[in-house]
Amino acid sequence: MRISEHPILSFRQNKEVHFTFDGKEVTGYEGDTIVSALHALGIWKLSESPVHRRPRGLFCAIGHCSSCLMRVNGVPNVRSCVTPIEEGMVVESQNPRGDLYDHV
Amino acid sequence: MITCDLLVIGGGPAGISAAVAAGKAGLKVLLLEERERLGGQLTKQTHRFFGSVAERAGTRGIAIIKDLETVVAQLENVEISLSTTALGIYEDGVSTALKSGKMIKIKPKAIVVATGAFEKFLPFENNDLPGVYGAGAVQTLMNIYGVLPARRILMIGSGNIGLIVSYQLVQAGAEVVGVIEASPKIGGYLVHASKIRRLGIPIYPSCTIKKAFGQDRVVGAELVRLDEKWKEIPGSQFTVDCDAICLAVGLNPLIDLLGQSGCQFKYIPELGGQVPIRDESMRTNVPHLYIAGDLSSIEEATAALLEGELAGLSAAKQIRPGQSLEARMEEVKTHLRALRSGPVGEKIRSGLSKLTGEALPTPSPRTNAIDELSRTGIASPANLAGVLPDEKRKKTRAYAVIECYQQIPCDPCVHNCPFGAIKPFSDINDLPIVDFDLCTGCGQCIGRCPGLAIFTVDETRDGDRAKITLPYEFLPKPVREETVDLLDRSGKCVGQGVVKSVLNTPKQDKTTIVTVEIHRNLVQDVRQIRVVQKS
Ligand SMILES: Cc1cc2nc3c(=O)[nH]c(=O)nc-3n(C[C@H](O)[C@H](O)[C@H](O)COP(=O)(O)OP(=O)(O)OC[C@H]3O[C@@H](n4cnc5c(N)ncnc54)[C@H](O)[C@@H]3O)c2cc1C
Ligand code: FES
Repeated sequence: MRISEHPILSFRQNKEVHFTFDGKEVTGYEGDTIVSALHALGIWKLSESPVHRRPRGLFCAIGHCSSCLMRVNGVPNVRSCVTPIEEGMVVESQNPRGDLYDHV
Repeated sequence: MITCDLLVIGGGPAGISAAVAAGKAGLKVLLLEERERLGGQLTKQTHRFFGSVAERAGTRGIAIIKDLETVVAQLENVEISLSTTALGIYEDGVSTALKSGKMIKIKPKAIVVATGAFEKFLPFENNDLPGVYGAGAVQTLMNIYGVLPARRILMIGSGNIGLIVSYQLVQAGAEVVGVIEASPKIGGYLVHASKIRRLGIPIYPSCTIKKAFGQDRVVGAELVRLDEKWKEIPGSQFTVDCDAICLAVGLNPLIDLLGQSGCQFKYIPELGGQVPIRDESMRTNVPHLYIAGDLSSIEEATAALLEGELAGLSAAKQIRPGQSLEARMEEVKTHLRALRSGPVGEKIRSGLSKLTGEALPTPSPRTNAIDELSRTGIASPANLAGVLPDEKRKKTRAYAVIECYQQIPCDPCVHNCPFGAIKPFSDINDLPIVDFDLCTGCGQCIGRCPGLAIFTVDETRDGDRAKITLPYEFLPKPVREETVDLLDRSGKCVGQGVVKSVLNTPKQDKTTIVTVEIHRNLVQDVRQIRVVQKS
């Protein structure tokens, strides 16, 4: 959910950025990270844990905990909380595990 | 290989302050910041900072950082490298960093590390569900990206972070279903607790979380009461509906980088866990390696700025001896000691004494005057009685009621009274005392109090009408002659009043000052207004 009005801050509505999440076309705004764009769309589950397949979401939002790892443009284990969205970016849940060899 | 005199790692208040101090002393400084902007924690803090006016308290975190950015930008010998993550500090004095996917090597003469802190986690069933966030993550999403992660949030932890983030969540339009706290007392500053209580947010002391409910994301939580020994009270479980659980259970210094450098650590829970061993000038056991800020002990921005300056000066003194920096260094140390000298500094003082091996400082004298307030966040009648003028004075002129009952290191109020009616502090931890002979009830102090704990009351007129003036930081803003709900210290609606003035010029910096005409019987009960939403 985007904050439309705030008593202290003002959020500029930047240019739209289009990318895909698990094959679906979605839209965020310039300045968004992957996670902020997905959260604004109500998408909280980012991936699943490798062994027990438990849902994984955002925890720290500053790139320090690895809870938000996703596959971005085919590259696994990208911290989606600190990665800005780009036009045409391909973002995928990373199931079951982000091995580098499925990239190379 | 890049060379410089001083490498500063981390661009929060501590790092910037170190870079500025060293830069002013003539050093060639390189400042690395992992994020795409400077400021660290400050970039997310929309509230006015408590602390020392000399270190810009009374101003919002987001404004403090703008000032600091301007100061550092003026120093030509300080280079700032954003989106640059320091990766390692090696024994030969070389540091590495990652910038735009490339590794860079830096050989400085000295290093100040000011990487800040990282949030603690909490064990409970289903704590890995999406919707369990660190408080910092919630702040990042809402205050940097303008995205509200949830509508109904449960806050775990009543330290300053839990209290302040709860307030910020309400400002952003969310509902906070409650703040729970394992200890029998509220951990953060009580002015911040009172601020959220009057919004109607309950605080549950002696309570912890047992589990989160939900499949793909949080839909609720099970809580349980604790006894005096922090043991669960059987049968006391209760559940709450919420779509997010926000953890604000403390911070650990972010020491990873130092671990590699040969720096020694000690486990001191009072300072935040494993902390680097250092001396009073912020020097570690590794030659030419200094630290500052939350990395050295979890404290406040005022302490971070001062420690940063000290670290920068220490480095300058070592690299360029012969400059007369000692006097300022001593001044900073004295300022730091004063900051930590009050009752809320006791934990830090005892932690620091473990670090330096000094004898434990004498504990501050204890009173039970604020016992009730620290359990509930609501001032007792006795607390209030102690800050009001006598009946005769009440009738002659308007007056300020400063509901600040706990000694905390914070002084903006004293510096903002045009009549000098708030007695000067001898110590930054003093409680404000109003001289009612000088106070005119002008209300200049209201918007400057970081605790939003100042109100003015005008009961000079005959009849049953009186006026209260209070700070208001929510949307929609009230307008003149509008009827608003009047809330007491627990957020309960106790009546309605009519708005008589709304002061909202740039000088107020978004803390709107609202005067409401109310029944005279309510002047000491009403502490918040609510704009009645038109359906
Ligand atoms: C909700 C909340 C409210 C607060 N309210 C107040 C208040 O009212 N008054 C007050 O005085 N204090 C307040 N504080 C505390 C204050 O914000 C901190 O004490 C202060 O920011 C610490 O400064 P710092 O520079 O040590 O760390 P930080 O501000 O955390 O900055 C550390 C910086 O280092 C960077 N970094 C980390 N690792 C690396 C690396 N490897 N390479 C490059 N850069 C790196 C980080 O990105 C960050 O920018 C509050 C804190 C919070 C969370
Ligand atoms: S949420 Fe912690 S690394 Fe992204």
